[in-house]
Amino acid sequence: MIFLNINNLNVTIDGKQILRDFNLNINLGEVHAIMGPNGSGKSTLANVLAGNEDYEVKSGKIIFKDQNLFDLNIEERAQLGIFLAFQYPVEIPGVNITPFLQASLNSRLKNQNKEEVDNLDFAKILRSKAQELGINSEMLKRSINTGFSGGEKKRYEILQMSILNPEFAIFDETDSGLDVDALRIVTEGINKFKTNNNSFLIITHYQKLLDYIKPDFVHVMRDGSIVKSGDISLASEIEESGYKNF
Amino acid sequence: MTLQDNFENHSKQYIFCDDEFLSKEREKIFIKINSNNFEKKNNESLKNLPFSDLNSFNYFFHVLDDKPKSIIKEKNVYQVDIVNGRSENYEDENIKIRNIFSKDFDKKKYVKDNKDNDIVMDFNKIFLNSGFFLTVKAEAQIKIHLNHNTKKNFTIFQQNFFNFQKNSKVKIEENFNLTENTINNIKSDFKADEYSSIEHNIFQKFTSSNKLFLTSNATCQKNSSFKQFSFNFSDGFVRNFHYAKLNGVFAKAVLKGCFFLKDNNACSNKTFVSHNAENCESNQTYKGILNDISKANYFSNTFVAENAQKTEGYQLSKGILLTDTCAFFSKPELRIFADDVKCSHGSTIGPVDESALYYLRSRGIDKKQAMKMIIASFIEDELENLDEDNINKINNNLSNYLNSV
Repeated sequence: MIFLNINNLNVTIDGKQILRDFNLNINLGEVHAIMGPNGSGKSTLANVLAGNEDYEVKSGKIIFKDQNLFDLNIEERAQLGIFLAFQYPVEIPGVNITPFLQASLNSRLKNQNKEEVDNLDFAKILRSKAQELGINSEMLKRSINTGFSGGEKKRYEILQMSILNPEFAIFDETDSGLDVDALRIVTEGINKFKTNNNSFLIITHYQKLLDYIKPDFVHVMRDGSIVKSGDISLASEIEESGYKNF
Repeated sequence: MTLQDNFENHSKQYIFCDDEFLSKEREKIFIKINSNNFEKKNNESLKNLPFSDLNSFNYFFHVLDDKPKSIIKEKNVYQVDIVNGRSENYEDENIKIRNIFSKDFDKKKYVKDNKDNDIVMDFNKIFLNSGFFLTVKAEAQIKIHLNHNTKKNFTIFQQNFFNFQKNSKVKIEENFNLTENTINNIKSDFKADEYSSIEHNIFQKFTSSNKLFLTSNATCQKNSSFKQFSFNFSDGFVRNFHYAKLNGVFAKAVLKGCFFLKDNNACSNKTFVSHNAENCESNQTYKGILNDISKANYFSNTFVAENAQKTEGYQLSKGILLTDTCAFFSKPELRIFADDVKCSHGSTIGPVDESALYYLRSRGIDKKQAMKMIIASFIEDELENLDEDNINKINNNLSNYLNSV
């Protein structure tokens, strides 16, 4: 089975080309990190994988779990097992966390032909996952991301991931706006979730995040393509001398 | 039928036509409208108004033989049925209801009572054919289900007078069961005496051949509170114009509304709060969701008199436009003559928040359900103080509306 294969992907937004002949292969159980300067196309890649309709795919292919991703819309991709942890999770006042997450989980279970969870069972799942991540139960009574601090928003993204149990999780600059303690809590959450049955794509500017997560592969992205791939030592190289050598 | 035919037809009715003074006043107003000689520029009452329908309707009214009933459903809960504008005369230790007669009208007030050049109020005066007095007695704590039932083709021009006496506490649930092809031009005055507390919930849901013009004037005395919530799910035209005067210190008025429009329907909304005493509070909030080629307007006004220090007056208007072809016009207005006040206004109208929609969809929720979640959240705040029955009723209507989106 092809887990994730991105082949010669070209993407534009408002007529401006962002991704140029982009190629990447990720197998099940692998953790990949993408680093790159501002404007290199990292967030575009994350959004295109998640199905954001603002971007126009000019050419190329993305195969995920043997399926052509371009045949699926945003929600169908999520139901299939793609999860995007947002750089800036949006606040949605009035939409309560609990029914939202229950509806999310049930849409995923339905896709897997599994039995949907009822209110009572979901409350138990939510409570236990929140406890594992050290999330206060008061927070679960609130609206999505509303009034959350930067750290709380990212922790809430991790909570969603652990409940939805995706096979492929993309973290788009999840370290932005986090203090050292919050970063540690968030990365611990990711590490706890990591198994041989899921894969990660971590987008970041800084080595610090990768010190905690320890990716199998690090890629450097510039002008919409990967210009170099290697192991964690590549992140140290970037930390020392920046992107000027790439 | 022309306006002239309607006027002549109406003049043959015995109710409210037995008074020479009122008849003359009506004739003056009729001539003004019929000659098209009325203020049109900046006239808020004309915005989105189906004026041609209003001008050429078929006047039809008579008193039915079968009388409506006012019943006590359970202790301190009343059901008052208004059939074709008329109620049953009723009295007990809590409440008194009786139909109005020409002699009940204060003639000076009748003449002056249209300072806003409101064309709908002019029509109400010309064709007035029904109405009632409802008094809630001092200290009473009751709930009233007020059901307007208008039979097919009837044209109702109604004036109602509510008086909530000192220390009374009242919840009114007002419903409109309009059958087919009806016009309902209803004005209600609410007089809240000292320390009275009134919650007025209005539910508007009827088919497209009916029209409702609902106007209310609340006058609040010292330490009284008037809270009104209107929910308009109608396929027919609705005009909600609601006014409140805070005349006693520490009085409070809340005028809130939500409307849900589709197809080529329209609605017109206005709220106006006058702060005439110190330490009063007001909140005017209208929210609307529009689909297809529907259109709406909302005018909100706060007036703070020179002596009304320590006023708190807030206005908010929000709209979600589901298509490029619907329209929502909002105009907030503040006129403040006191210097120690807290007042604000805000207005946001636009499409559904795409980033919120993307976020929900990225968690596996399909577009339609995500849209429903966002729209339901939009009115969440307005449901806060309603009881469970009303919340269920609104959620059912909302669900039906969203199924058509």
